[in-house]
Amino acid sequence: MKRVWVHVGLIAFSAYILLPILWIIRTSFVPESMSYSSSLMPGFTLDNFAALLNRRNFGNSLLRSLIVSLGATLIALPFAAATGFAFARYRTGGNLGRFLVLATQMLPAIVLVLPTFTIFRSLGLTNSIFGLMIVYAALNLPFLTWILMGFFEGIPVELEWAAMIDGANPWTAFWRVVIPVSLPGLASAGILGFIMAWNEFIFALILTGPATATVPVSLAALQTQNGIRIADVSAGVVLAVIPLAIIARYAQRFIVSGLTFGAVK
Amino acid sequence: MAQVSLRNVVKRYELVQVVHNINLEIADHEFVVLVGPSGCGKSTTLRMLAGLEEISSGEIYIDSRPVSSVPPWNRDIAMVFQNYALYPHMTVAENMGFGLKLRHVPKSEIQARVKHAADILGITNLLDRRPKALSGGQRQRVAMGRALVRDPKVFLFDEPLSNLDAKLRVQMRTEIKKLHQRVNTTTIYVTHDQVEAMTLADRVVVMNGGRIEQIGPPQELYHAPKSLFVAGFVGSPGMNFVPARVEESNGSLYLSIGNRCRLAVPLARTDRYGPFVGRMMTFGIRPEHISEPSGEPQSGMAPLELPVDVVEPMGAETLVHCNLDGTTVIACLEPSTQASPGKPIKLVADMNHMHLIDPETSLVV
Repeated sequence: MKRVWVHVGLIAFSAYILLPILWIIRTSFVPESMSYSSSLMPGFTLDNFAALLNRRNFGNSLLRSLIVSLGATLIALPFAAATGFAFARYRTGGNLGRFLVLATQMLPAIVLVLPTFTIFRSLGLTNSIFGLMIVYAALNLPFLTWILMGFFEGIPVELEWAAMIDGANPWTAFWRVVIPVSLPGLASAGILGFIMAWNEFIFALILTGPATATVPVSLAALQTQNGIRIADVSAGVVLAVIPLAIIARYAQRFIVSGLTFGAVK
Repeated sequence: MAQVSLRNVVKRYELVQVVHNINLEIADHEFVVLVGPSGCGKSTTLRMLAGLEEISSGEIYIDSRPVSSVPPWNRDIAMVFQNYALYPHMTVAENMGFGLKLRHVPKSEIQARVKHAADILGITNLLDRRPKALSGGQRQRVAMGRALVRDPKVFLFDEPLSNLDAKLRVQMRTEIKKLHQRVNTTTIYVTHDQVEAMTLADRVVVMNGGRIEQIGPPQELYHAPKSLFVAGFVGSPGMNFVPARVEESNGSLYLSIGNRCRLAVPLARTDRYGPFVGRMMTFGIRPEHISEPSGEPQSGMAPLELPVDVVEPMGAETLVHCNLDGTTVIACLEPSTQASPGKPIKLVADMNHMHLIDPETSLVV
C-alpha cells in the first residue's frame, strides 16, 4: 500500500514537470485558430513550423545560435583547461584565486550588460554574432574553469610524473597525457558551456539586432502588439529544444560526470 | 647503469625540514632499499632523486654528474609508482613504448624492445589491452615493463607492492629480485615494509624522522642494530624491550628486572657494559632468542619463568606473549609448546644475542 502512494506521488510530480512541456509540443502541432482549445488534439498541422521557418527566418536564428554557442565554447575551452590545470596542479593564486573565479558567477548578468554594451558599441562589436561569441566565451570561462579544475584534481599527479620520467617536459606531459585522460571532463565542460550559451537571453537581447538575433531573442520577438502567437512560440520552443534534447540523450553520461566531479573523489 | 650519490641532501617545506642531511653512496648494480615508517622522508628522498621535488640544499650525483638542476626528463631514470600510474588511454604496448617514442626511437626498435621486456615479465598476451582491463598484479608488471624498456641508468621504486594483496605481494617481491638479478640495473627501492626491505636489499637504509638511522646489509641490521629504532623496526615480530638495571656482583654483570628477575650477562660483554653498572637501561632481545629449555643449561642462557597472557599459533612457530614485570615479552617457540594462557612457562633467554640500549641516547651500547 505504501508503494502505491509513493508511485502516486511520483506520477503527480512527473506530471507537474512534464505537462507544460507536453502541452507546448501539442500546441506546436495544432492549427493556430485552435491553440487555446481545451481538447487534447483538435487537429494536426505542420503549418506552425513552416510559418516560423519561412516567414520569420527562424532557421537563420537556429544557425546563428549554433555558430555562437559552438564558437564561444571552442574559444573558452582551451583557456579554461589551462587555467583550471594551473589552479588544480600548481595551486596558482591559492584559495583567493579560486574564490575570485567563483565570485564572477555571483554577479547578476544585468549588472554586466550595460558596461559590456557600452564597450562593445565603441568597438563596433554590437549587432554582430562574433561580438556575442566573445561575450559568451568570457561569461563561460569561470564556470568551465571551475568544472575542469575539479576534473584535473581527480587525475593523479603520478601520471604526469610518470610521463616526465619517461622523457616528457611539462608541456608534453600535459598535452599527451593529461588532456587525453581528461577528454570526458573536457566534453562535459564543453556541453555545459554550449547549453549555457544556447539558452542565454539578456546579452543576446542587448547586443544583437533583428539580423543577428539568436534563438531566445527570436522567440521573444514572437510576442507582438497583436498578442502572443502561441502556436508559433510553441513551434519555436520545440525547435530550440531539439538540439539540447539530442545532446542530453547522447551526452548525459558526460554531463553528469562533469557536474559531480570533485564532489565524490 | 650508474652510481648514485646523495651528499648533504636537505628538503625543507617553508619552515618545516622533512629531510635532514642525507649522505648516501650507492654503487653500480646495487639494490638499495630505503625503509622507515610513514612520514620518515623516504619517498621525498626518492622523488628528489627523480627530480620530481627540488632539493633545498646539498647535491645529487648520477654517475658523477651533478643532477640537482637537471629536470626529470633528462636524468635517464625510470620509476615505478605505488599506484602504477599507467596511462589509461594507451594500450599496454603504448604505455611501455611511450618513453622510447618521446625519444624518437624508430618504431621497429620500439616494438622489439617492448616485446623483449614483455617476454621477461610474462605479459606478452596483454600488450593490446588497456590498463583498466588488467588486474593489480598485471598492472604492476606493466609498470615495471615500462621502466625496463627504457634501459635507464637507475630504477626507482616507490612502494610498488603496497596496493597488492598479501600473497601477490610476496610473489611480485620475488619477481623484482629475479628481475634485478637479470638486468642488474642500479635500483633504489622505497618501502615501509621491513620484510620487503630485508628480502630485497643488498643494503638497507633505515630512515626515521627525516634522518638516516643506519645503513647496512640486512643481516647486519638484524644482528647489530645501532639504535633503539632500528632494533625495534627490523625483524618480525619486533624485538622485546624491557627496562633493566645493570648490576655487578663478584665480577659478573647482571640485568635486574623488577624485584624478582635477574639475568646473567655473558662474560664476553662485561667490558662493554661495565660503564653502565648502576644505571637503568633498556634490555632488548628478539622473540626468536627466547626458547623453552632443553637438555643441559648452556653458557649465556638465562632462565626465566613468566606468566603467559596470549598464545598465537602461526603454524611453523608459536608466538607466546608473556608478562615480565609489567612489560609484554613475546617468545617465538616451537609449535609443540604446551604454553597456555594464565599458566606460567619456563623459558631461557639467549643472552649472547641480547642488546643493551642507553635510554638517554636511544643508542645500542
